[in-house]
Amino acid sequence: MADLLTHVLAAYTLFTVASWRFEWFTKRWVAIAMIGALLPDLNRLGLLVIDATLESVLGVPFSLDAMQTIGGVCLLAGVGAVVLTERHRRAFGFLLAGAFSHLVIDGLKAYADGAAGTWLYPITWYRHPTPNLYVSSDPTVLVLTGIIAGSVFLYERYWL
Amino acid sequence: MRPAVRVIVATLLLTTLAGLCVHYGATYDEHWPHPTGDQLQDDPGQFTDQQVLLFGEVQTAAEDTIAIHVHDDAGDIAAELEVTNVDKSVEPGGMVQVYGVLDSDQTMTAEKTVVVNRSDGASTYKYVVSLAGALLAIGYFCKHWQPLPQKLGFEPRTGRTERDTAGPNDG
Repeated sequence: MADLLTHVLAAYTLFTVASWRFEWFTKRWVAIAMIGALLPDLNRLGLLVIDATLESVLGVPFSLDAMQTIGGVCLLAGVGAVVLTERHRRAFGFLLAGAFSHLVIDGLKAYADGAAGTWLYPITWYRHPTPNLYVSSDPTVLVLTGIIAGSVFLYERYWL
Repeated sequence: MRPAVRVIVATLLLTTLAGLCVHYGATYDEHWPHPTGDQLQDDPGQFTDQQVLLFGEVQTAAEDTIAIHVHDDAGDIAAELEVTNVDKSVEPGGMVQVYGVLDSDQTMTAEKTVVVNRSDGASTYKYVVSLAGALLAIGYFCKHWQPLPQKLGFEPRTGRTERDTAGPNDG
């Protein structure tokens, strides 16, 4: 994964620019998409409780990394959508779109064998080729994303 | 959607998510084309002379040779490897991916190396920056949405504007 700030800024940039085209696409939906960008990294709950502990408690194999897949984010977006009191379908769409932006960006990161992670599960276990664009701890990725997000913020605030 | 219905839907989705985590955990090893730490620990010889991708924590680094620990699911050391032909700068405490043929004496000549975290400090940087990202998203969300305890959910913080109601009401 890239760091979470990069994902959140990327979602802000992407969905803010998209909001310029549609009247109904307001800031509150950009906020929902930014929350969506957090969803795949809920697997980091593993920093608090490791899979082995959960497996020993439940008595079955268990991997929180399922949350960093298409299937995992679909279910998490569904949960997020019903946390709102209204407009569940639209919320689901934006949460899923935000999460999908996260997964696509992660799909570009470096793997030594040249193939990305298994984020297409449960549709397929296929690991697509990755362009090996970055590693998650590289600050350059955050700086570039931050510059673009800052430019979008300033453009919208002072010129749009 | 009434609060009770939303609670039921959320419960069903979370139960399904738990099922997905079980299925993923149960089937991951057979679909991942490289040995996991657990597999390497159980039968190291099974992967000798095979081209594998391994993730490891750097213990020592000198010139183009590093010693790494590969961990199992529990975070314990599953294997200790000496990897040569590492052309990247990395410090003890860093995390690397190494890809190459595994020799019987627990050594590998890396064909390709990816330095995930150059040092322990790089991991700390990533976690701190990620925390900032989570706080930014949550803060931006709270600016536009507010909790409504009596309805067990969040609703728009300000009254609907004309712009908001222009789209189809899909609630």
